[in-house]
Amino acid sequence: MTNGDMFCTRRKLLKSAVGLASVAVAAPALIGRATAATQLTIADPGGPFGPAWRKAFYDPFEKATGNKVVNVAREAEPTAQFKAIVETKSYTWDVCTLTLSARDILTKENLLEPIGFTHADVPTLMPEAISQYWMGTDVYSTVLAYRTDRMKTAPGSWADYWDIKKFPGRRSLRKNPIDTLEQALLADGVPLDKLYPLDVDRAFKKLDQIKPHVNVWWTGGAQSTQLLQSGEVDMITGWNARFQAAIDGGTPAKIVWNQGLYSIEGWAIPKGNPRADAARDFIRFCSDPARQAVYTEVLAYGPTNLDAYKTIPAQRATALPTSPGNLKQMTVANEDWWSANRAAVTERFNSWLLS
Amino acid sequence: MTAGAIVAHAPARRRLFPSSLWLVVPGILFLLLFFVLPVMRLLTLSFQDPTTGAWSLASYWHIVKTDVYIRVLGITFSISGYTAIFSVLLGYPVAYWLARMPERQRGPLLLLVMIPFWTSYLVKTFAWTIMLGRAGVINTLLMSLGIISEPLSLIHNRFGVMVGMVHSMTPLAVVTMLPVMIGIDRSLVDAAKTLGATPAHAFWTVYFKLSLPGLTAAGLLVFISSLGFFIVPALLGGRLDTMLAQLIITQVQELLNWSFAGALAAMMLAAALLSCWVYDRMFGLSSISGQSGQESASRLRLVAQHVLHALASVSARLADLMRAVIGGQGTARLLPAAVWLVLGFLILPTLVVVPVAFTSSQFLDFPPPGYSLRWFDTYFSSQLWISATVRSFLVATVTAVLATAIGGFSALALARSQSRWNGLIFGFFLAPLIVPRIIIAVGLFYLFAQMGLVATNAGLIIGHTVLAVPFTFVTMAAVLKSYDWRLDQAAATLGANRLSTLTQVTIPLLKGGIVAALLFAFITSFDELTIAIFISGGITTTLPKQMWDDMILQLNPTLAAVSVVVSVVITAVLLAAERFRRPA
Repeated sequence: MTNGDMFCTRRKLLKSAVGLASVAVAAPALIGRATAATQLTIADPGGPFGPAWRKAFYDPFEKATGNKVVNVAREAEPTAQFKAIVETKSYTWDVCTLTLSARDILTKENLLEPIGFTHADVPTLMPEAISQYWMGTDVYSTVLAYRTDRMKTAPGSWADYWDIKKFPGRRSLRKNPIDTLEQALLADGVPLDKLYPLDVDRAFKKLDQIKPHVNVWWTGGAQSTQLLQSGEVDMITGWNARFQAAIDGGTPAKIVWNQGLYSIEGWAIPKGNPRADAARDFIRFCSDPARQAVYTEVLAYGPTNLDAYKTIPAQRATALPTSPGNLKQMTVANEDWWSANRAAVTERFNSWLLS
Repeated sequence: MTAGAIVAHAPARRRLFPSSLWLVVPGILFLLLFFVLPVMRLLTLSFQDPTTGAWSLASYWHIVKTDVYIRVLGITFSISGYTAIFSVLLGYPVAYWLARMPERQRGPLLLLVMIPFWTSYLVKTFAWTIMLGRAGVINTLLMSLGIISEPLSLIHNRFGVMVGMVHSMTPLAVVTMLPVMIGIDRSLVDAAKTLGATPAHAFWTVYFKLSLPGLTAAGLLVFISSLGFFIVPALLGGRLDTMLAQLIITQVQELLNWSFAGALAAMMLAAALLSCWVYDRMFGLSSISGQSGQESASRLRLVAQHVLHALASVSARLADLMRAVIGGQGTARLLPAAVWLVLGFLILPTLVVVPVAFTSSQFLDFPPPGYSLRWFDTYFSSQLWISATVRSFLVATVTAVLATAIGGFSALALARSQSRWNGLIFGFFLAPLIVPRIIIAVGLFYLFAQMGLVATNAGLIIGHTVLAVPFTFVTMAAVLKSYDWRLDQAAATLGANRLSTLTQVTIPLLKGGIVAALLFAFITSFDELTIAIFISGGITTTLPKQMWDDMILQLNPTLAAVSVVVSVVITAVLLAAERFRRPA
């Protein structure tokens, strides 16, 4: 930082300190201030998503409509904030990224605004990627990844992950029943298309076998990257893009797409939002396959409009969950089953961990 | 605050509130509005059925009949209890050593204790995974020296959790104990020795006893603030190390079951208040001015007296043994050696963070494969990072002043009162520390939405002040407990009115405690994440919020670079303040 900057910052600091008392009084004016063109505040997942989506969605949308887009980072599970925003009508966000499970919870609580178009309007969209209140923008997949420098034989399935004799090595699982139960059932021989409804007892029985051999129970995506990258573990379950980040950074590791479980993140609008029309335009804008192809240059997530693969280089497509070769080895995680059973199964899982 | 005015009016109102307990009123009003009201609103949800809204005890019944929550509560208490014990054990010799220093040397050395405090706990925790991991610094070192042949399991178990927690909390323990120890008159120890006590007896029965208020305050603060930890057990713990805050966050954020989250929070609050009460009965922390009256009555104190004598005898014998083995000079060096070991432990993660900030790699590799300034460049060229930093400094500074004023006057009121309400008020001021932050955050969001304070700096400051008041209150209470009120009486006898007594006698003498309180409040705000996530709405972002956003998806060395910049800035400011305070 140069001297001038420092000065400027200090002066700003002073000014803000002086202005602080007036902030409390003038605060209501700060929220919901109107500008000439509509300004949309969009809550995206943050990190590398910010610049990637700015290039793919925000800038082109500003250019096309004259509206402005301000993007902020949202929490991994922003349901609580979302509920608070709608119930207090403090619309700090106009559009927000939601996972399928968050979408279902919020739909059930009647907190979402309709997006105003259907699958018939965008037929090349994956059918799972659109509902009345939400449109999927990217597909992520829960997969197995392993260190190529540590594993003598490459594991290729969940049965291999469970086989501690043939595939010795340090293992990590997610400290969460979601996906973990599915993985146990797949390891136990349940076919990919017959997973749901999950046989919970059978899953826990299978999990009992691997429990003493799991060295790390991870809790956050950034942590899973770190565990693979630092060599803390040799085999790990997690989200493909987190592992791709390690691989792109030079970590000797590979992703196993076989028996992966994919899921979708997408846009939704808080119910009653005064800028809902512009928000709907924005969501519709993001269904464009060419726009979706742009973000895959940086993010290893799969476009939901499969026409995007017409413009994505073949080499890059192998790292994306929705490329034809990868997609056919996987199945979609069933949110209906989870939203009905999540609370009870989470409780049982926590109890099982402690026993 | 209008404290001056209130104080000036005091004599006229003394009859109405003979114990000067009225000084606590602004603090109580503040907490009632910004803490009790929003939290109660959420806690009432725990007595309602989530779907029908009818009154029901179903949530509590569910806690009782499933064993997992009670067990997690047990784990939470045990981790917090051990953290308190170890933090005080490690912190005591450091505080003792610092208290003995001349003031000129103490300042810079205290900064050394504080450095880990300035490093964001997100960064610190990841630094520990780099230090203690399977391919981490310590294992690599031990293996290359041939001491071990297989890597030790140092993290992802209870040991890892304890390392992370004790490391975070030891500075808190030191800074709480230090002002009390500085206030101890060392000539009393010399007097004891002149009267024939061995050094060990003089220490245990005189010095240690006088330092007890600081020790008990530190233990309580560490214990209670540990109850709400969730990042450390999540990143450094294993299968068996789940803490209650993690489960509450899942209920609030992921399952959106606020009724059950409220019930879990209520259970934690009740258990914590109960342990505060037991603690208070044992150590009498809230009976700030009633020392002499209780002493003879309490059988417990008699037992304590015996324990102290026993400790003294044992350590006297140990000291003899030590002198026989390593000689008098060696024994004299034991304390500095122990202190430097603790300081080394405190600084260890920083030793990782600094090189990583200058790495050329995009990961938190250690040692870095190459060096570059790219992460500093990322930080300084980002408007977002810079404005978040400026906002954090601003919010933390105002929070520090506000919280110290509220906590200080409330502690003063309690110290001068003999009211039987003291214990209750004491617990009340600690409560914001016990209620999980996410509960406070959600409650405040609803309140602030009505007041138009969402996404404002004022909202952040109020939220952070609620969290900081317990720290400032306990720190000030501990210092006031050992404060000699006869000095105030002397000033009054000499004609000073209450205002000038306060500003010219009381406050200068309590300077150490006030500085500690300001520091606590500042750092509480500066490192606060949960309130910021809710109140900022993502637009008025603070530094920890910005770090969190950045690391949700990917850990990158920008976080280390930010930590280095922040540490340098704060250290420079504190050193300058030190200079300014004592012109040569």
